[in-house]
Amino acid sequence: MSEPVRRPSAIEALHPLTKLALMLAAVVAGAALPTIPAVLGVFVLLLVPLAVAGGCLRPFLRTCLRVLTPFLISLLLIQGFFTPGPTVLLRLGPFRYTLEGLLVGLLFSARLLVGMGAATLLMLVTRPDALMRGLVERGLPNQIAYIVITALQIVPTFQARARSILDAQRSRGLETEGPLTVRLRAFAPLVGPLILSSLMQIEERAIALEARAFNRPGRRTSLVALHDTRAQGLLRWALLAAALALVAARLVLWRTA
Amino acid sequence: MIAVSGLRFRYAGSERPALDGLDLSIGAGEFVGVVGANGAGKSTLCYTLTGYIPHFYAGTLEGDVLVAGHEVRRTPVSELASDAGLVFHNPFNQISGARYTVLEEVAFGLENLGLDPDAMRQQAHAALLATGLADLAGRSPFTLSGGEQQRLAVAAVMAMQPRVLVLDEPTSQLDPAGTRAIFEVLRSLARTRQTTIVITEHKLGWLASFVDRLLVLHDGQLVADGAPRQVLSEAATQPWGVGATNYTRAALEARQRGLLPSAGDLLPVTLEQALETLR
Repeated sequence: MSEPVRRPSAIEALHPLTKLALMLAAVVAGAALPTIPAVLGVFVLLLVPLAVAGGCLRPFLRTCLRVLTPFLISLLLIQGFFTPGPTVLLRLGPFRYTLEGLLVGLLFSARLLVGMGAATLLMLVTRPDALMRGLVERGLPNQIAYIVITALQIVPTFQARARSILDAQRSRGLETEGPLTVRLRAFAPLVGPLILSSLMQIEERAIALEARAFNRPGRRTSLVALHDTRAQGLLRWALLAAALALVAARLVLWRTA
Repeated sequence: MIAVSGLRFRYAGSERPALDGLDLSIGAGEFVGVVGANGAGKSTLCYTLTGYIPHFYAGTLEGDVLVAGHEVRRTPVSELASDAGLVFHNPFNQISGARYTVLEEVAFGLENLGLDPDAMRQQAHAALLATGLADLAGRSPFTLSGGEQQRLAVAAVMAMQPRVLVLDEPTSQLDPAGTRAIFEVLRSLARTRQTTIVITEHKLGWLASFVDRLLVLHDGQLVADGAPRQVLSEAATQPWGVGATNYTRAALEARQRGLLPSAGDLLPVTLEQALETLR
Protein backbone atom coordinates (compact mmCIF):
# COMPACT_ATOMS: atom_id res chain seq x y z
CA MET A 1 0.00 0.00 0.00
CA SER A 2 1.22 3.51 -0.76
CA GLU A 3 2.76 5.61 2.00
CA PRO A 4 0.63 8.51 3.21
CA VAL A 5 1.57 11.91 1.82
CA ARG A 6 3.42 13.77 4.55
CA ARG A 7 3.31 17.36 3.40
CA PRO A 8 0.31 19.29 4.68
CA SER A 9 -2.43 19.96 2.18
CA ALA A 10 -6.01 21.14 2.15
CA ILE A 11 -7.26 17.58 1.99
CA GLU A 12 -4.91 16.35 4.70
CA ALA A 13 -6.21 19.05 7.01
CA LEU A 14 -9.72 17.63 6.80
CA HIS A 15 -11.02 15.42 9.59
CA PRO A 16 -10.36 11.78 8.64
CA LEU A 17 -14.07 10.96 8.81
CA THR A 18 -14.76 13.73 6.29
CA LYS A 19 -12.21 12.17 3.94
CA LEU A 20 -13.74 8.76 4.54
CA ALA A 21 -17.22 10.14 3.81
CA LEU A 22 -15.97 11.74 0.58
CA MET A 23 -14.42 8.51 -0.61
CA LEU A 24 -17.42 6.39 0.36
CA ALA A 25 -19.71 8.81 -1.46
CA ALA A 26 -17.51 8.47 -4.53
CA VAL A 27 -17.69 4.67 -4.33
CA VAL A 28 -21.48 4.73 -3.97
CA ALA A 29 -21.78 7.18 -6.87
CA GLY A 30 -19.55 5.00 -9.04
CA ALA A 31 -21.64 1.94 -8.27
CA ALA A 32 -25.01 3.68 -8.65
CA LEU A 33 -24.59 5.83 -11.75
CA PRO A 34 -25.79 4.00 -14.86
CA THR A 35 -23.50 5.17 -17.67
CA ILE A 36 -19.79 5.05 -18.40
CA PRO A 37 -19.41 8.86 -18.81
CA ALA A 38 -21.25 9.44 -15.52
CA VAL A 39 -19.04 6.98 -13.64
CA LEU A 40 -15.89 8.38 -15.21
CA GLY A 41 -17.20 11.82 -14.29
CA VAL A 42 -16.96 10.85 -10.62
CA PHE A 43 -13.32 9.97 -11.14
CA VAL A 44 -12.43 13.03 -13.19
CA LEU A 45 -14.56 15.63 -11.43
CA LEU A 46 -14.27 14.44 -7.83
CA LEU A 47 -11.29 12.16 -7.23
CA VAL A 48 -8.76 13.84 -9.53
CA PRO A 49 -9.40 17.34 -8.10
CA LEU A 50 -9.16 15.89 -4.58
CA ALA A 51 -5.84 14.28 -5.49
CA VAL A 52 -4.63 17.62 -6.88
CA ALA A 53 -5.69 19.36 -3.68
CA GLY A 54 -3.96 16.63 -1.69
CA GLY A 55 -0.73 17.15 -3.63
CA CYS A 56 -0.60 13.51 -4.65
CA LEU A 57 -1.89 13.45 -8.23
CA ARG A 58 1.07 11.53 -9.67
CA PRO A 59 1.20 8.69 -7.13
CA PHE A 60 -2.60 8.55 -7.25
CA LEU A 61 -2.73 8.14 -11.04
CA ARG A 62 0.27 5.81 -11.08
CA THR A 63 -1.29 3.49 -8.49
CA CYS A 64 -4.66 3.54 -10.27
CA LEU A 65 -3.03 2.69 -13.58
CA ARG A 66 -0.91 -0.12 -12.16
CA VAL A 67 -3.76 -1.78 -10.34
CA LEU A 68 -6.45 -1.20 -12.94
CA THR A 69 -4.57 -2.38 -16.05
CA PRO A 70 -4.72 -6.16 -15.41
CA PHE A 71 -8.36 -5.91 -14.32
CA LEU A 72 -9.22 -3.78 -17.35
CA ILE A 73 -7.70 -6.29 -19.77
CA SER A 74 -9.37 -9.30 -18.20
CA LEU A 75 -12.75 -7.55 -17.84
CA LEU A 76 -12.74 -6.40 -21.45
CA LEU A 77 -11.79 -9.86 -22.68
CA ILE A 78 -14.22 -11.81 -20.51
CA GLN A 79 -17.19 -9.47 -20.90
CA GLY A 80 -16.52 -8.94 -24.61
CA PHE A 81 -16.47 -12.64 -25.43
CA PHE A 82 -19.07 -13.88 -22.97
CA THR A 83 -21.75 -11.17 -23.06
CA PRO A 84 -24.19 -11.97 -25.84
CA GLY A 85 -25.30 -9.22 -28.20
CA PRO A 86 -26.24 -8.50 -31.78
CA THR A 87 -23.26 -6.25 -32.64
CA VAL A 88 -20.26 -8.50 -33.29
CA LEU A 89 -16.98 -6.63 -33.45
CA LEU A 90 -14.61 -9.59 -33.80
CA ARG A 91 -14.75 -13.33 -34.53
CA LEU A 92 -12.13 -15.73 -33.22
CA GLY A 93 -13.12 -19.23 -34.35
CA PRO A 94 -16.31 -20.08 -32.47
CA PHE A 95 -16.00 -17.00 -30.22
CA ARG A 96 -17.63 -13.65 -30.89
CA TYR A 97 -16.55 -10.37 -29.32
CA THR A 98 -19.60 -8.10 -28.98
CA LEU A 99 -20.00 -4.34 -28.64
CA GLU A 100 -22.45 -4.93 -25.79
CA GLY A 101 -19.82 -6.98 -23.94
CA LEU A 102 -17.22 -4.29 -24.53
CA LEU A 103 -19.53 -1.65 -23.03
CA VAL A 104 -20.30 -3.82 -19.99
CA GLY A 105 -16.57 -4.40 -19.52
CA LEU A 106 -15.91 -0.67 -19.76
CA LEU A 107 -18.67 0.13 -17.26
CA PHE A 108 -17.33 -2.43 -14.76
CA SER A 109 -13.80 -1.12 -15.28
CA ALA A 110 -14.94 2.46 -14.70
CA ARG A 111 -16.67 1.44 -11.48
CA LEU A 112 -13.57 -0.44 -10.39
CA LEU A 113 -11.46 2.62 -11.21
CA VAL A 114 -13.64 4.81 -9.00
CA GLY A 115 -13.73 2.34 -6.10
CA MET A 116 -10.04 1.61 -6.23
CA GLY A 117 -9.17 5.25 -6.81
CA ALA A 118 -11.18 6.32 -3.77
CA ALA A 119 -9.43 3.73 -1.58
CA THR A 120 -6.01 4.75 -2.92
CA LEU A 121 -6.67 8.42 -2.41
CA LEU A 122 -7.92 7.83 1.12
CA MET A 123 -4.69 5.98 1.94
CA LEU A 124 -2.59 8.70 0.33
CA VAL A 125 -4.11 11.59 2.27
CA THR A 126 -5.03 9.91 5.56
CA ARG A 127 -2.88 8.24 8.16
CA PRO A 128 -4.59 4.99 9.14
CA ASP A 129 -4.11 5.69 12.85
CA ALA A 130 -5.83 9.08 12.48
CA LEU A 131 -8.72 7.45 10.64
CA MET A 132 -9.03 4.79 13.32
CA ARG A 133 -8.83 7.42 16.06
CA GLY A 134 -11.69 9.24 14.38
CA LEU A 135 -13.72 6.04 14.28
CA VAL A 136 -12.86 5.18 17.91
CA GLU A 137 -14.13 8.62 18.92
CA ARG A 138 -17.41 7.67 17.20
CA GLY A 139 -17.67 4.39 19.09
CA LEU A 140 -15.53 1.87 17.24
CA PRO A 141 -13.98 -0.51 19.84
CA ASN A 142 -10.33 0.30 20.48
CA GLN A 143 -9.35 -3.33 19.95
CA ILE A 144 -10.76 -3.38 16.41
CA ALA A 145 -8.96 -0.15 15.56
CA TYR A 146 -5.73 -1.66 16.86
CA ILE A 147 -6.15 -4.76 14.69
CA VAL A 148 -6.72 -2.66 11.56
CA ILE A 149 -3.71 -0.41 12.16
CA THR A 150 -1.33 -3.22 13.00
CA ALA A 151 -2.53 -5.21 9.98
CA LEU A 152 -1.50 -2.26 7.80
CA GLN A 153 1.90 -2.03 9.48
CA ILE A 154 2.61 -5.73 9.65
CA VAL A 155 3.69 -6.25 6.04
CA PRO A 156 7.13 -4.56 6.25
CA THR A 157 7.68 -6.18 9.65
CA PHE A 158 6.83 -9.56 8.21
CA GLN A 159 9.14 -8.98 5.25
CA ALA A 160 12.03 -8.00 7.54
CA ARG A 161 11.50 -11.13 9.64
CA ALA A 162 11.36 -13.30 6.51
CA ARG A 163 14.63 -11.76 5.28
CA SER A 164 16.43 -12.48 8.54
CA ILE A 165 15.14 -16.08 8.61
CA LEU A 166 16.21 -16.50 4.99
CA ASP A 167 19.68 -15.18 5.81
CA ALA A 168 19.91 -17.52 8.79
CA GLN A 169 18.94 -20.51 6.63
CA ARG A 170 21.37 -19.48 3.88
CA SER A 171 24.18 -19.25 6.42
CA ARG A 172 23.48 -22.90 7.21
CA GLY A 173 23.83 -23.87 3.58
CA LEU A 174 20.24 -23.72 2.33
CA GLU A 175 20.06 -23.19 -1.45
CA THR A 176 17.59 -20.41 -2.24
CA GLU A 177 18.65 -19.41 -5.74
CA GLY A 178 18.26 -21.31 -8.98
CA PRO A 179 15.49 -23.25 -10.69
CA LEU A 180 11.92 -23.37 -9.40
CA THR A 181 12.36 -26.77 -7.74
CA VAL A 182 15.27 -25.44 -5.66
CA ARG A 183 13.25 -22.38 -4.62
CA LEU A 184 10.27 -24.54 -3.70
CA ARG A 185 12.50 -26.73 -1.54
CA ALA A 186 13.69 -23.60 0.28
CA PHE A 187 10.10 -22.57 0.98
CA ALA A 188 9.39 -24.93 3.90
CA PRO A 189 12.48 -24.00 5.99
CA LEU A 190 11.44 -20.37 5.56
CA VAL A 191 7.73 -20.61 6.25
CA GLY A 192 7.93 -22.83 9.36
CA PRO A 193 10.14 -20.52 11.44
CA LEU A 194 8.33 -17.47 10.05
CA ILE A 195 4.94 -18.67 11.29
CA LEU A 196 6.26 -19.95 14.62
CA SER A 197 8.23 -16.78 15.37
CA SER A 198 5.25 -14.64 14.38
CA LEU A 199 2.98 -16.54 16.76
CA MET A 200 5.50 -16.11 19.58
CA GLN A 201 5.80 -12.43 18.71
CA ILE A 202 2.04 -12.01 18.92
CA GLU A 203 1.98 -13.46 22.44
CA GLU A 204 4.80 -11.23 23.63
CA ARG A 205 3.28 -8.17 22.01
CA ALA A 206 -0.05 -8.88 23.68
CA ILE A 207 1.77 -8.91 27.02
CA ALA A 208 3.60 -5.69 26.14
CA LEU A 209 0.27 -4.04 25.34
CA GLU A 210 -1.00 -4.90 28.80
CA ALA A 211 2.08 -3.20 30.25
CA ARG A 212 0.94 -0.07 28.42
CA ALA A 213 -2.55 -0.31 29.97
CA PHE A 214 -4.16 -1.14 26.62
CA ASN A 215 -7.15 -2.92 28.15
CA ARG A 216 -7.53 -0.55 31.07
CA PRO A 217 -11.16 0.45 31.44
CA GLY A 218 -11.99 4.14 31.47
CA ARG A 219 -11.43 7.25 29.40
CA ARG A 220 -8.73 7.37 26.72
CA THR A 221 -7.12 10.47 25.36
CA SER A 222 -5.03 11.19 22.29
CA LEU A 223 -1.69 12.91 21.81
CA VAL A 224 -2.79 14.31 18.46
CA ALA A 225 -6.18 15.98 18.54
CA LEU A 226 -8.32 15.59 15.45
CA HIS A 227 -9.54 18.91 14.14
CA ASP A 228 -13.20 18.96 13.22
CA THR A 229 -15.56 21.79 12.28
CA ARG A 230 -19.29 22.29 12.07
CA ALA A 231 -18.99 22.77 8.31
CA GLN A 232 -17.29 19.40 7.96
CA GLY A 233 -20.00 17.78 10.05
CA LEU A 234 -22.63 19.26 7.71
CA LEU A 235 -20.63 18.11 4.70
CA ARG A 236 -20.58 14.56 6.03
CA TRP A 237 -24.35 14.59 6.51
CA ALA A 238 -24.79 16.01 2.99
CA LEU A 239 -22.57 13.29 1.53
CA LEU A 240 -24.56 10.64 3.38
CA ALA A 241 -27.80 12.09 2.01
CA ALA A 242 -26.38 12.23 -1.52
CA ALA A 243 -25.22 8.63 -1.27
CA LEU A 244 -28.64 7.50 -0.07
CA ALA A 245 -30.30 9.46 -2.89
CA LEU A 246 -28.03 7.79 -5.44
CA VAL A 247 -28.82 4.34 -4.05
CA ALA A 248 -32.54 5.17 -4.21
CA ALA A 249 -32.20 6.42 -7.77
CA ARG A 250 -30.34 3.29 -8.68
CA LEU A 251 -33.09 1.12 -7.24
CA VAL A 252 -35.97 3.13 -8.70
CA LEU A 253 -34.85 5.03 -11.79
CA TRP A 254 -31.87 3.08 -13.18
CA ARG A 255 -32.91 -0.49 -12.37
CA THR A 256 -32.08 -1.82 -15.79
CA ALA A 257 -28.75 -0.05 -16.19
CA MET B 1 6.68 -0.67 48.05
CA ILE B 2 7.25 -4.35 47.27
CA ALA B 3 6.52 -7.05 49.82
CA VAL B 4 6.93 -10.69 48.85
CA SER B 5 6.47 -13.53 51.28
CA GLY B 6 6.64 -17.26 50.75
CA LEU B 7 6.58 -16.81 46.97
CA ARG B 8 6.69 -20.08 45.12
CA PHE B 9 5.80 -20.47 41.45
CA ARG B 10 5.92 -23.48 39.20
CA TYR B 11 5.14 -23.17 35.49
CA ALA B 12 2.48 -25.55 34.21
CA GLY B 13 4.15 -28.74 33.00
CA SER B 14 7.40 -28.04 34.82
CA GLU B 15 8.77 -30.40 37.45
CA ARG B 16 10.61 -27.89 39.63
CA PRO B 17 9.51 -24.44 40.80
CA ALA B 18 10.95 -21.42 39.00
CA LEU B 19 10.74 -19.47 42.25
CA ASP B 20 11.05 -21.37 45.49
CA GLY B 21 10.13 -19.71 48.77
CA LEU B 22 11.12 -16.08 48.22
CA ASP B 23 10.78 -13.52 51.01
CA LEU B 24 11.62 -10.01 49.97
CA SER B 25 10.94 -6.43 50.90
CA ILE B 26 11.93 -3.42 48.79
CA GLY B 27 11.31 0.16 49.85
CA ALA B 28 10.30 3.25 47.87
CA GLY B 29 13.17 4.74 45.86
CA GLU B 30 15.40 1.67 46.16
CA PHE B 31 17.41 0.72 43.08
CA VAL B 32 17.76 -3.05 43.25
CA GLY B 33 19.66 -5.34 40.90
CA VAL B 34 18.87 -9.03 40.45
CA VAL B 35 21.52 -11.42 39.14
CA GLY B 36 21.69 -15.13 38.63
CA ALA B 37 22.47 -17.76 36.03
CA ASN B 38 20.08 -18.47 33.18
CA GLY B 39 17.04 -20.27 34.57
CA ALA B 40 17.62 -18.95 38.08
CA GLY B 41 14.18 -17.30 38.12
CA LYS B 42 15.03 -13.67 37.32
CA SER B 43 12.47 -13.20 34.55
CA THR B 44 9.86 -15.12 36.53
CA LEU B 45 10.38 -12.71 39.42
CA CYS B 46 9.95 -9.75 37.03
CA TYR B 47 6.72 -11.21 35.65
CA THR B 48 5.42 -11.87 39.14
CA LEU B 49 6.13 -8.37 40.38
CA THR B 50 4.16 -6.92 37.46
CA GLY B 51 1.25 -9.36 37.60
CA TYR B 52 1.96 -11.26 34.35
CA ILE B 53 2.23 -14.20 36.69
CA PRO B 54 -0.37 -15.48 37.44
CA HIS B 55 -2.56 -13.57 34.93
CA PHE B 56 -0.82 -14.61 31.68
CA TYR B 57 1.44 -17.51 32.52
CA ALA B 58 -0.17 -20.74 33.64
CA GLY B 59 1.22 -22.35 36.75
CA THR B 60 0.88 -22.70 40.49
CA LEU B 61 1.50 -19.60 42.56
CA GLU B 62 1.84 -19.68 46.33
CA GLY B 63 2.60 -16.89 48.76
CA ASP B 64 1.80 -13.20 48.76
CA VAL B 65 3.04 -10.51 46.39
CA LEU B 66 2.15 -6.93 47.22
CA VAL B 67 3.34 -4.25 44.78
CA ALA B 68 2.54 -0.55 45.25
CA GLY B 69 -0.39 -1.52 47.43
CA HIS B 70 -1.81 -4.02 44.95
CA GLU B 71 -2.08 -7.71 45.61
CA VAL B 72 -0.96 -8.82 42.14
CA ARG B 73 -3.08 -11.94 42.17
CA ARG B 74 -6.25 -9.85 42.45
CA THR B 75 -5.26 -6.88 40.29
CA PRO B 76 -5.64 -6.97 36.49
CA VAL B 77 -2.35 -6.25 34.71
CA SER B 78 -3.82 -3.30 32.80
CA GLU B 79 -4.77 -1.73 36.14
CA LEU B 80 -1.45 -2.56 37.77
CA ALA B 81 0.36 -1.05 34.76
CA SER B 82 -0.15 2.50 35.98
CA ASP B 83 1.77 1.65 39.18
CA ALA B 84 4.15 -1.09 38.09
CA GLY B 85 5.80 -0.99 34.65
CA LEU B 86 7.73 -3.77 32.95
CA VAL B 87 10.41 -3.53 30.29
CA PHE B 88 11.47 -6.86 28.92
CA HIS B 89 14.52 -7.76 26.95
CA ASN B 90 13.11 -8.09 23.43
CA PRO B 91 12.50 -4.47 22.43
CA PHE B 92 11.00 -5.21 19.02
CA ASN B 93 8.02 -7.01 20.53
CA GLN B 94 7.35 -4.11 22.86
CA ILE B 95 6.55 -1.76 20.00
CA SER B 96 2.79 -1.40 20.00
CA GLY B 97 2.54 -1.39 16.20
CA ALA B 98 -0.32 1.07 16.52
CA ARG B 99 1.62 4.31 16.27
CA TYR B 100 3.68 5.76 13.46
CA THR B 101 6.33 7.83 15.24
CA VAL B 102 8.60 7.37 18.23
CA LEU B 103 6.88 10.22 20.08
CA GLU B 104 3.45 8.72 19.50
CA GLU B 105 4.75 5.32 20.53
CA VAL B 106 5.96 6.70 23.85
CA ALA B 107 2.62 8.45 24.33
CA PHE B 108 0.63 5.27 23.58
CA GLY B 109 0.56 4.12 27.21
CA LEU B 110 -0.29 7.63 28.39
CA GLU B 111 -3.24 7.73 25.98
CA ASN B 112 -4.50 4.50 27.51
CA LEU B 113 -4.17 6.05 30.98
CA GLY B 114 -6.32 8.95 29.80
CA LEU B 115 -3.79 11.72 30.42
CA ASP B 116 -4.39 15.28 29.34
CA PRO B 117 -2.62 15.87 25.94
CA ASP B 118 -0.37 18.62 27.32
CA ALA B 119 0.76 16.49 30.24
CA MET B 120 1.14 13.57 27.86
CA ARG B 121 3.39 15.54 25.52
CA GLN B 122 5.47 16.78 28.43
CA GLN B 123 5.96 13.31 29.94
CA ALA B 124 6.68 11.72 26.58
CA HIS B 125 9.28 14.38 25.71
CA ALA B 126 10.90 14.04 29.13
CA ALA B 127 11.20 10.26 28.65
CA LEU B 128 12.65 10.73 25.16
CA LEU B 129 15.18 13.26 26.43
CA ALA B 130 16.18 11.02 29.32
CA THR B 131 16.78 8.06 27.02
CA GLY B 132 18.54 10.09 24.33
CA LEU B 133 15.81 9.60 21.74
CA ALA B 134 14.60 13.19 21.42
CA ASP B 135 16.20 13.57 17.98
CA LEU B 136 14.37 10.48 16.74
CA ALA B 137 10.91 11.58 17.89
CA GLY B 138 9.55 11.78 14.35
CA ARG B 139 10.97 8.47 13.11
CA SER B 140 9.00 5.26 12.70
CA PRO B 141 9.71 2.89 15.63
CA PHE B 142 10.28 0.06 13.17
CA THR B 143 13.17 1.86 11.48
CA LEU B 144 15.21 2.18 14.69
CA SER B 145 18.23 0.02 15.44
CA GLY B 146 18.01 -2.68 18.11
CA GLY B 147 19.67 -0.44 20.69
CA GLU B 148 17.39 2.48 19.86
CA GLN B 149 14.35 0.22 20.11
CA GLN B 150 15.56 -0.92 23.51
CA ARG B 151 15.81 2.68 24.68
CA LEU B 152 12.36 3.29 23.21
CA ALA B 153 10.97 0.39 25.25
CA VAL B 154 12.44 1.93 28.39
CA ALA B 155 11.15 5.40 27.46
CA ALA B 156 7.64 4.10 26.73
CA VAL B 157 7.27 2.55 30.17
CA MET B 158 9.19 5.31 31.95
CA ALA B 159 6.85 7.93 30.49
CA MET B 160 3.97 6.32 32.36
CA GLN B 161 5.78 7.23 35.60
CA PRO B 162 5.02 4.02 37.48
CA ARG B 163 5.90 3.87 41.18
CA VAL B 164 7.64 0.56 40.55
CA LEU B 165 9.71 -0.03 37.42
CA VAL B 166 10.81 -3.59 36.65
CA LEU B 167 13.33 -4.13 33.87
CA ASP B 168 14.35 -7.55 32.56
CA GLU B 169 17.77 -7.21 30.90
CA PRO B 170 16.95 -3.82 29.38
CA THR B 171 20.46 -3.12 28.13
CA SER B 172 21.19 -6.43 26.38
CA GLN B 173 21.45 -4.72 22.96
CA LEU B 174 23.06 -1.48 24.11
CA ASP B 175 26.65 -0.34 23.76
CA PRO B 176 28.51 0.96 26.84
CA ALA B 177 27.38 4.56 26.27
CA GLY B 178 23.75 3.50 25.88
CA THR B 179 23.99 1.25 28.92
CA ARG B 180 25.43 4.05 31.03
CA ALA B 181 22.67 6.41 29.87
CA ILE B 182 19.96 3.93 30.91
CA PHE B 183 21.55 3.26 34.30
CA GLU B 184 21.94 6.98 34.96
CA VAL B 185 18.31 7.61 34.09
CA LEU B 186 17.18 4.80 36.35
CA ARG B 187 19.28 6.04 39.25
CA SER B 188 17.92 9.53 38.73
CA LEU B 189 14.34 8.19 38.77
CA ALA B 190 15.02 6.38 42.02
CA ARG B 191 16.64 9.44 43.61
CA THR B 192 14.35 12.22 42.40
CA ARG B 193 10.96 10.54 42.05
CA GLN B 194 11.41 7.80 44.60
CA THR B 195 10.62 5.23 41.90
CA THR B 196 11.40 1.73 43.04
CA ILE B 197 13.58 0.08 40.41
CA VAL B 198 14.17 -3.64 40.04
CA ILE B 199 16.53 -4.58 37.24
CA THR B 200 17.85 -7.96 36.14
CA GLU B 201 21.20 -7.83 34.37
CA HIS B 202 24.25 -9.86 33.47
CA LYS B 203 26.45 -6.75 33.22
CA LEU B 204 27.83 -6.96 36.74
CA GLY B 205 30.12 -3.96 36.46
CA TRP B 206 27.25 -1.61 35.74
CA LEU B 207 25.15 -3.07 38.54
CA ALA B 208 28.03 -2.74 40.98
CA SER B 209 28.42 0.94 40.08
CA PHE B 210 24.79 1.96 40.13
CA VAL B 211 22.42 -0.14 42.24
CA ASP B 212 21.86 0.28 45.97
CA ARG B 213 21.25 -3.35 46.61
CA LEU B 214 21.84 -6.62 44.83
CA LEU B 215 19.91 -9.89 45.00
CA VAL B 216 21.21 -13.23 43.79
CA LEU B 217 18.79 -15.90 42.63
CA HIS B 218 19.96 -19.48 42.34
CA ASP B 219 17.59 -22.29 41.37
CA GLY B 220 14.63 -20.09 42.25
CA GLN B 221 15.91 -19.23 45.71
CA LEU B 222 17.23 -15.98 47.09
CA VAL B 223 20.77 -16.87 48.13
CA ALA B 224 22.25 -13.42 48.67
CA ASP B 225 20.86 -9.97 49.39
CA GLY B 226 22.93 -6.95 50.28
CA ALA B 227 25.25 -4.20 49.11
CA PRO B 228 26.59 -4.84 45.57
CA ARG B 229 30.22 -5.20 46.62
CA GLN B 230 29.43 -7.57 49.43
CA VAL B 231 27.14 -9.71 47.26
CA LEU B 232 29.39 -9.84 44.20
CA SER B 233 32.44 -10.50 46.31
CA GLU B 234 30.69 -13.50 47.82
CA ALA B 235 29.17 -14.61 44.51
CA ALA B 236 32.63 -14.80 42.91
CA THR B 237 33.47 -17.79 45.07
CA GLN B 238 30.08 -19.50 45.07
CA PRO B 239 28.65 -21.95 42.50
CA TRP B 240 25.75 -19.65 41.65
CA GLY B 241 26.72 -19.04 38.05
CA VAL B 242 26.73 -15.27 38.53
CA GLY B 243 30.32 -14.75 37.42
CA ALA B 244 32.55 -11.90 38.51
CA THR B 245 33.79 -8.60 37.17
CA ASN B 246 37.31 -8.43 35.72
CA TYR B 247 38.45 -6.56 38.84
CA THR B 248 37.10 -9.28 41.11
CA ARG B 249 38.71 -12.00 39.00
CA ALA B 250 42.03 -10.17 39.04
CA ALA B 251 41.84 -9.74 42.80
CA LEU B 252 41.04 -13.44 43.27
CA GLU B 253 44.01 -14.38 41.10
CA ALA B 254 46.21 -11.96 43.05
CA ARG B 255 45.08 -13.56 46.29
CA GLN B 256 45.91 -17.02 45.00
CA ARG B 257 49.40 -15.84 44.02
CA GLY B 258 49.90 -14.22 47.39
CA LEU B 259 49.92 -10.68 46.00
CA LEU B 260 46.93 -9.68 48.13
CA PRO B 261 45.94 -10.72 51.66
CA SER B 262 44.04 -14.01 51.32
CA ALA B 263 41.10 -13.16 53.59
CA GLY B 264 39.43 -10.35 55.40
CA ASP B 265 38.62 -7.48 53.04
CA LEU B 266 35.88 -7.70 50.45
CA LEU B 267 36.96 -8.28 46.87
CA PRO B 268 36.80 -5.25 44.57
CA VAL B 269 34.05 -5.26 41.94
CA THR B 270 34.61 -1.87 40.29
CA LEU B 271 37.67 -0.02 39.00
CA GLU B 272 37.54 2.43 41.89
CA GLN B 273 37.44 -0.37 44.42
CA ALA B 274 40.32 -2.16 42.67
CA LEU B 275 42.45 0.98 42.78
CA GLU B 276 41.59 1.43 46.43
CA THR B 277 42.62 -2.17 47.13
CA LEU B 278 45.98 -1.61 45.42
CA ARG B 279 46.63 1.45 47.59
